[in-house]
Amino acid sequence: MEETPILAALESGVLTLTLNRPQRLNAMSQPLIAALIEQIARARADDAVRCVLLTGTGRGFCAGADLAGSGTGALDADGRPDVGAVMDRLYNPMIRAIRALPKPVVAAVNGVAAGGGANLALACDIVLAARSARFDQAFVRISLIPDLGGTWFLPHTVGDARARALAMLGTSVPAEEAERMGMVWQVVDDAALMDEAGKIARRLAAGPTRSYAAIKDAMNRAGTNTLDQQLDLERDAQRELGRSDDFKEGVAAFLAKRPANFTGR
Amino acid sequence: MAYERILLAREDGLATLTFNAPDRLNAVSRKMIAEIKTCWEELAADASVRAVLITGAGRGFCAGADLADPDRAASAAADSGAALDKYFNPVIRLMRTMPKPIVAAVNGVAAGVGMSFALASDIAIAGRSASFLQAFARIGLLPDGGSTWFLPRLVGDQRARALAMLAPQIPADKAKEWGLIWDVVDDAALMPAATAIARKLADGPTLALARIKGALDKSGANDLSAQLDVERDFQRELGRSDDFKEGVAAFLAKRKPDFKGK
Repeated sequence: MEETPILAALESGVLTLTLNRPQRLNAMSQPLIAALIEQIARARADDAVRCVLLTGTGRGFCAGADLAGSGTGALDADGRPDVGAVMDRLYNPMIRAIRALPKPVVAAVNGVAAGGGANLALACDIVLAARSARFDQAFVRISLIPDLGGTWFLPHTVGDARARALAMLGTSVPAEEAERMGMVWQVVDDAALMDEAGKIARRLAAGPTRSYAAIKDAMNRAGTNTLDQQLDLERDAQRELGRSDDFKEGVAAFLAKRPANFTGR
Repeated sequence: MAYERILLAREDGLATLTFNAPDRLNAVSRKMIAEIKTCWEELAADASVRAVLITGAGRGFCAGADLADPDRAASAAADSGAALDKYFNPVIRLMRTMPKPIVAAVNGVAAGVGMSFALASDIAIAGRSASFLQAFARIGLLPDGGSTWFLPRLVGDQRARALAMLAPQIPADKAKEWGLIWDVVDDAALMPAATAIARKLADGPTLALARIKGALDKSGANDLSAQLDVERDFQRELGRSDDFKEGVAAFLAKRKPDFKGK
């Protein structure tokens, strides 16, 4: 039977994307990545989508590249895989698309997130993890480096010292420790994960979408900007947001002490 | 000059700048930010000032831009980037480039750009009842006053995104646990503790403290190799200072150094 590697459902402005290869702990096959890229493109194009929620079916979030299947790409002439080629064609465009999407992306990490699966989660703007979930930079065990942005996300979330240890030792990090380190935003009891993640996603979907897009862009660029450059970026973004409907509504609601009714415009 | 919305006091090398609109939790009106900017210019140029302590009058530190300020409403409708260009960004740039240390005593809520003022300081200490809030997304803006730069560097990319997008109120203890600020003390102990730190810095080797600021600011965009060169250049300069000579002499004589800031 043909599998549907990504399930997609749009409700209340939230596009929920579910990694759906539970028999393989949602390990990433090439069709899965291609489908995820396609859905992120849809989220970008469709004004009805104001937030994306990413999760997995079954007991895992994502076990990384499907090493037993198509995850590492085709073999080249001398019988060795060109891992870089499949990264260029699929993995890296997927991560770039998530980071560049001008809408917030929430991850509900429902179980193990290993290798590329861990870094797929860390690419999301707000990561919630079930208490039983784990984050596992497994790459070094198969003689690779953390990819899908792992060598960027780790030092930018947990600091240089922890990043080096996690990458070199391949230590599996339990959800609660990941929260303490600042690798993820929040740990939630397993049974409450989808409720809590849904609540946050719906709240973001009802929020000032352009403000979130500007926050993402500013955070993406903060890593290489000087403070001086970043202050100019904030000025330009604030000028643009200052002309939005949502800013007008936000200030009016604040002064009237009522909840704001944002439209994303 | 005489100020109305802030208080400025100087004592023996230590200047204290107090946001002074307590009935508005020290929300920043156009008049106040204009005064704040002039004040920082004055402090930066005054060689007798060797450290600055900032705090808020009353029960708030600074509630951010005053949305009810009639001056703001008139100009923000046209261009909300203009106020940043004219006032807020120059203030943050002055705070970071001023060659003297800044201590923030966060005595209550620090919201919006008020939180940015605390984060732009070199050492922020909060009273236990203080809280921090990136309120901007609540009104359809993004964090400004440098917070999109400070936050990822202080708490990492993941928490920075959540703080900016979800705009939760962060209690002082959590802020310390996350490294957003240096320390938390009981409310009653805040001003004595912050003043003691600011006093120590005002009596310290001012040039070295200035170069520490400069080096840490550069570290964000430098690779390690470039940073090693920065350290060499600054160290060379400091090695020629009076305070270095005094520091070494005092160390060898096992006495307290008497730094002059030269």
